Formats: sequence, C-alpha cells, structure tokens
Amino acid sequence: MKGLILAGGRGTRLRPITHTGPKQLVPVANKPVLEYAIEDLKEAGITEIGIVLGNLGREAIQEHLGDGTDFGVEITYIIQGNPLGLAHAAGCAEEFVDGDDFVMYLGDNILEGGVTDLVESFETGDHAAGIALQRVENPQQFGVADVDEDGTVKELVEKPDDPPSNLALIGIYVFSPAIFDAIETLEPSWRGELEITDAIQSLLDDGRSIDSAIVEGWWKDTGKPEDVLEANRLVLEDALGTVNGTIEDGADITGQVDVAEGAIIEDGAVVRGPVSIGEDVRITADTYLGPYTSIGAGSTIESAHVENTVVAGDATIRTSVKIVDSLIGESATIDTADDLLPEGKRLVVGENSQLKL
Amino acid sequence: MRIITHACPACGTVVAANELESRRVMKCPGLHCEEVHRFDDLEDEEREHFLENKDQYRI
Repeated sequence: MKGLILAGGRGTRLRPITHTGPKQLVPVANKPVLEYAIEDLKEAGITEIGIVLGNLGREAIQEHLGDGTDFGVEITYIIQGNPLGLAHAAGCAEEFVDGDDFVMYLGDNILEGGVTDLVESFETGDHAAGIALQRVENPQQFGVADVDEDGTVKELVEKPDDPPSNLALIGIYVFSPAIFDAIETLEPSWRGELEITDAIQSLLDDGRSIDSAIVEGWWKDTGKPEDVLEANRLVLEDALGTVNGTIEDGADITGQVDVAEGAIIEDGAVVRGPVSIGEDVRITADTYLGPYTSIGAGSTIESAHVENTVVAGDATIRTSVKIVDSLIGESATIDTADDLLPEGKRLVVGENSQLKL
Repeated sequence: MRIITHACPACGTVVAANELESRRVMKCPGLHCEEVHRFDDLEDEEREHFLENKDQYRI
C-alpha cells in the first residue's frame, strides 16, 4: 500500500502566516503539521508516499522533507498546480500509485489515533474504498455516511438537512485503483472542483463495496489560527517532559516541559507545562511561559508573559504585555514600547494580520 | 474527467498537464532538478485531448 498526502491549497484562513509559507508547515508542538501525516502513514506500515503540491509553498515543502530519508520514507512529489479538487489531486497520482491501494490524507489534518485501524479494516475485505468517519454533534455541516452494522457504507450525503447518521467524513480515505476509473467519469461540481465524494458515490452506484472505520480520539483540521492553537493544546497534552537542553537552577518548572537541545531556561524564569521549547531557544529571567505554549527553534523570550500560544522559529518577544491565545510567525519581533515617546504602540503589520491591542 | 500527467525522467516528479500547458516550457519543479519540461512532451493524443477540453482544466 502507498500513501498520498495532499499539501496544496492557498491557506487563506491562516494569513498572514501563509503569506510566507505553506499551511502544512505551520508548527504544532514544534513540528510541522505535515510530519504528523507522514508519521501516521509510517506507523501503518506505509513508506512509499506521494506528496501532492499546489502552486504555493512547493519549494518550502520539498526543502523540508527532501526525498524522505530523514523521516524513514520514500517521497515522490506530484505537482497538481491549480486546485481542481481532491479527486483531481488523487487522479494526478495514478502513475505514482501504479496499481496499488493507497491511503489519501489531507496534509493539514492531525489525528490522535492515526490511520492503522482504517487500513486494517480496508484490508480485511474486498473493498473499492474505505473512509474514515468520526461522530460529530453537527452532521448537517459535514459530508455524512450512512453505514450498516458491519461498517459498509450504504450512502454518502453532503451537508444533509436530515442526516442519516452523525458519522462525518474527516478527509482520510483508502482507495483501490478502481477510484481512478470513477474519477475519469466525473464532471466538475457546482463549485468547479472534481469532488472525491462524487467519485466514492460513483463506486457505490456501481455496486462496489465501500468500507468505513470510525476514528476514535480527536481529529483536527488546522486550517484556521484557533484550530492550530487547539491542535497544539491537544498534542501538548501528551508532552513527555523530555529535557535535552538546559534548565538553570532557580528556574521554576512545573508540569511536562519538553526542552530541545541547545535551549536554555534561565534562572528566574517560570514555566508551567505542558510546554514545548524548540532547539536553541532562550527563555530569560522574569519570563512566564504558561500552559499549551510552543516556542519555535532559535527564538528568544525575554521578560515576557506568554501562554496558550504557538511561536514559530527565530521569533523575539520582549514586552511586558501579556500574550495569550496567539499565533506568531517566523522571525517576528514583539518588542516593548514602554520607554518610547510619544507613548503608543508601534506596528509594522502585514496584509491580513489580526491584532487585539 | 481524464487527468493527464507527465513524470520527469530525471527526478520522477509528476507534473499535471494543466501545469505544463499553462507554462508551455518550464524548469522541472522537482527541487534541484535541471530537467526542462514542455507541453510537447505529452503524447500527441494527450495534448489533443487536453486542448479540446481545456476549459475543464481551468475550473
């Protein structure tokens, strides 16, 4: 079996962070979202992985993942170009898939439980496809599956007024090569995309068996800043408190705090876990880091108060203002204006930035 | 909808026909690959199909 990770899209809901990089490289607990997908596939025994790239962030993703060796997998890149829909992305991978079954995974999703159950369930029968489902409280807002007691899908309905179940499709699938014939029969939908749900429905209409597996544990699409913070919180719940850096005597540490190599928490700093501190980060005296905070590699946090926040790499925060519930991009600087005259905030803010002062 | 692709003979990166057509001639998008791809690299029949259905590939 092979793996296919979709890493296109414009990431508009994550601007301005995505003005300078793809959403799939936004860090969650100091690891790009995309790496969680690779780890899940690897855990399910899948090491041949195709990464579908759009128009934005192609080079950054290739630079980060390379040929996959550093992650113990073999990566082939597939350039979809324009975002013509999930079924188009899958169709672009036919040559890479080369007659195998494959898992298709949205590259900005994180699953607590991984994809092993989905893959194992698919492999136990003669199915044309398998879909991952999760119980939701608002099925009217999702694609919903009606399944029988064995988990075989009877019907798929997109955002139904009267949902047949509360089982929503979460964007993770297993396909046999039959999906490519189904894709070839598709026409663009009303929103101008080739829809993967239409392709699965076409398999159902042809009498093919579609398996399903209910994903237990949390699942998060990291498309918006609040989703990134929530995913960061969920991942940090399992922080191990691994310390490879330096915690000086006099630093006040409580809870699980991961400290990467080269990082230093200085005497007089207070850190309340769960917190993740990346490589070569410096946390100075008089700094407070509160729960559910991740500080990216190379950053400096100086005499600041930061909690429930994701800070990407090489950022500098040096202010008496409390920073909470925030997403701070790479190489950003937040400095104090306390001694400056005339009094007031000094901002250099990019397009689509959001500030609450 | 038929999806046409072209695999780089040097690095294996797969490029969709819509990407090849929009640029006509392009450096391989595979990182550090020096290969040059052309829309003309596709089979005659593939090119013909793409051009006859061009609107579909611009949805």
